[in-house]
Amino acid sequence: MSQIMPSARQRKMRTLLFWAVPAVLLLLPLATNPYTQFIANGMLVSVLVTLGFTLTIGNLGQLAFANTAFFGIGAYSSAILAAKLGVPWLLTIPLAGAFGALGGFLASAAALRGIRTYYLAIITLAFGELMRWAYLHAKPLTGGTDGMPMPRETLLGISLTDDTLKFYIFLAVTVLLVKATLNLMRSHFGRAVMAVRENEIATASLAIPTARVILATFMWSGFVVGCAGALFARHVGHVFPESFGMLHLIASFAMVLVGGLGSVLGAVLGAVLLTALPEYLRAFPGMEELFFGLIVAGVLVAMPMGLASLLRRVSPIFVERFYREAP
Amino acid sequence: MKKYISLLAAAGLAASPLLAQDAEWETEGLSDDAITIGVMGPFSGNASSYSKALIGMMAYYDKVNEEGGVHGRKLVAVQEDTACDSAKGLAAAKKLISQDEVFMLQGNSCSGVALALRPTIEEAGLPWIVAHAVSDSISDPLAANIFHGVPTGGANGRAMAAFVLSKPDTSNVAIIEHSNDWAHSYSNPAREYLEENGVAPSLELTMERGQTDATAQVLKLRQEKPDFIIAALYEAETAIFLRDLKKYGMGDIPVMGTAGTDLENTLKRTGDFDTVKNYYVIHSYVDNLDGPLMQPWGEMIHKYYPDEELSTFSFVSIGSAEALVSALEAVGPELTRSKLMAALEEVRDFDTGILSDPISWTADDHQGVKGSAVAGFVDGEPTVLKAWGQPY
Repeated sequence: MSQIMPSARQRKMRTLLFWAVPAVLLLLPLATNPYTQFIANGMLVSVLVTLGFTLTIGNLGQLAFANTAFFGIGAYSSAILAAKLGVPWLLTIPLAGAFGALGGFLASAAALRGIRTYYLAIITLAFGELMRWAYLHAKPLTGGTDGMPMPRETLLGISLTDDTLKFYIFLAVTVLLVKATLNLMRSHFGRAVMAVRENEIATASLAIPTARVILATFMWSGFVVGCAGALFARHVGHVFPESFGMLHLIASFAMVLVGGLGSVLGAVLGAVLLTALPEYLRAFPGMEELFFGLIVAGVLVAMPMGLASLLRRVSPIFVERFYREAP
Repeated sequence: MKKYISLLAAAGLAASPLLAQDAEWETEGLSDDAITIGVMGPFSGNASSYSKALIGMMAYYDKVNEEGGVHGRKLVAVQEDTACDSAKGLAAAKKLISQDEVFMLQGNSCSGVALALRPTIEEAGLPWIVAHAVSDSISDPLAANIFHGVPTGGANGRAMAAFVLSKPDTSNVAIIEHSNDWAHSYSNPAREYLEENGVAPSLELTMERGQTDATAQVLKLRQEKPDFIIAALYEAETAIFLRDLKKYGMGDIPVMGTAGTDLENTLKRTGDFDTVKNYYVIHSYVDNLDGPLMQPWGEMIHKYYPDEELSTFSFVSIGSAEALVSALEAVGPELTRSKLMAALEEVRDFDTGILSDPISWTADDHQGVKGSAVAGFVDGEPTVLKAWGQPY
């Protein structure tokens, strides 16, 4: 689909908008109660999970489902570092990202060996299940089925159970990683990522090291989702193996598709909508799953390219540079 | 002197908003005619079948309401879904506490969710009666506002071992279990109880989930010839184990199973009475589900939930609901959260008429139910037992 690219002025507006949204969000705690604040915090975690997922599946075009494994690795790394080694939770965020990146490195091994499509999907799914098995059985490290409680901690004299404090930290991490990913995707590397998606052989013929591009994308995806895992560990305060199963993967996949495959803006929109939706549907006990399914299906039927495509139609400022809708 | 009085008056004035706030917190979720109770359970998702565990409690609220409530106040349940997921469970708890502003909480299946909720609810301080989840860590270490109203995994494990040792001349006990925490939550306290009574398990075996054959384990047991076997296995694996036990001529050795299995269901799975004739399970009730002592409770549930298909889970939360109502009645019309928690700590040897063991909460111990009965086949009929050969 051809798209009108934004002008220089519109690009400036877009930059302004990018910073205006988190600036406005700084005021959000004034309008929330602990419940709505908790949901808002969950949205920020989901944004990062979806962002990491869309990088491999949408931008790189690899049918890879190791996302939930990266998420679990990040959450458990953070919990283990904080609970067993006494590392302050804030410091565990980049460390969890690094472990997530290591997970990305391992998951990319299959892709680097030329395994693609459904075969890659199965291998990466198996990787996720293998990690879940490890969380369950490495009891001295992970707590097994009892999970890992996060230690009580304070920051600037405020308890880290405080949802408002968590919101500001989550917001800062999310903005940082979204901005970094946007910049990455606008760079030469980002173009190479999308070139691999479009035609890997043709990309290699241009002397672009496709293997390195694939490896680096998986690792960045792992880093982003690993950081999300660390946020999640603090968000729920207790990490359990069940949080990193197929249901989480399906929910994240739905967020990617509803937002718009391969779009950073779509990752944000999909995550926000599908994290909020189940909470609104609490008003319909027993019908939540039905309504959730219908709404997701409805959005995808009406907007096959996701919510981001709707915004792109509204204004060119929402067109992401070098973005092309995934086939 | 005047100076001190002025200072005291100023301090009192400064503290008055705080006192007012405390008073407001104490009666949050209360009105002249209603007590709002947040009820969390897995109403959706893979574990939604556990939501049946809350039906008995809800029916009991309805019964109390029909009889005029407690001191004129109706028990109004505000239900929230946890989907047996910690994040969704936390959202549910925060909604109930900060948005719906319920007076107290009761319910919760899924130990993992309850464990994740504990810090939030402990911090919020409102009373919470756990009516289904069994993990000991939910209520131990003690939290001032958290009360366990069902036998915990530890209580059940000890009850299993006590039953085993109640069989005369039992000295050789083997344990077979899954290698997961669910199984350990039964087997560890059972092992401790055995050792306290001078019986060290003679053989400890593992049978993994999903295993479809227990020949290797049964052959090892045949060599050891135990007097009793404790089996901390899920129902499907229990049926396989019992089948193979009979196949190798060891069907006469009694086997003690967990509350996670059910006599009739196990019989249905094996399809052969001889495999289950010596199988015993933890059974928290005073009678068989279709027995005369359980009948009024079944009728109560059907009165308010006519379509409910009764199972073991349907009755599990009734006992704690009764204890709550008893404490609410003891407090009187001037109800506050602190008064309710104090009254709950005064509940002693409370006979629920449905749970096999009474509920006792003290200031030092909020795990209210310390044991369970056992069910087994006696003369071909499922029978609730206090101890070996002693019907309840």
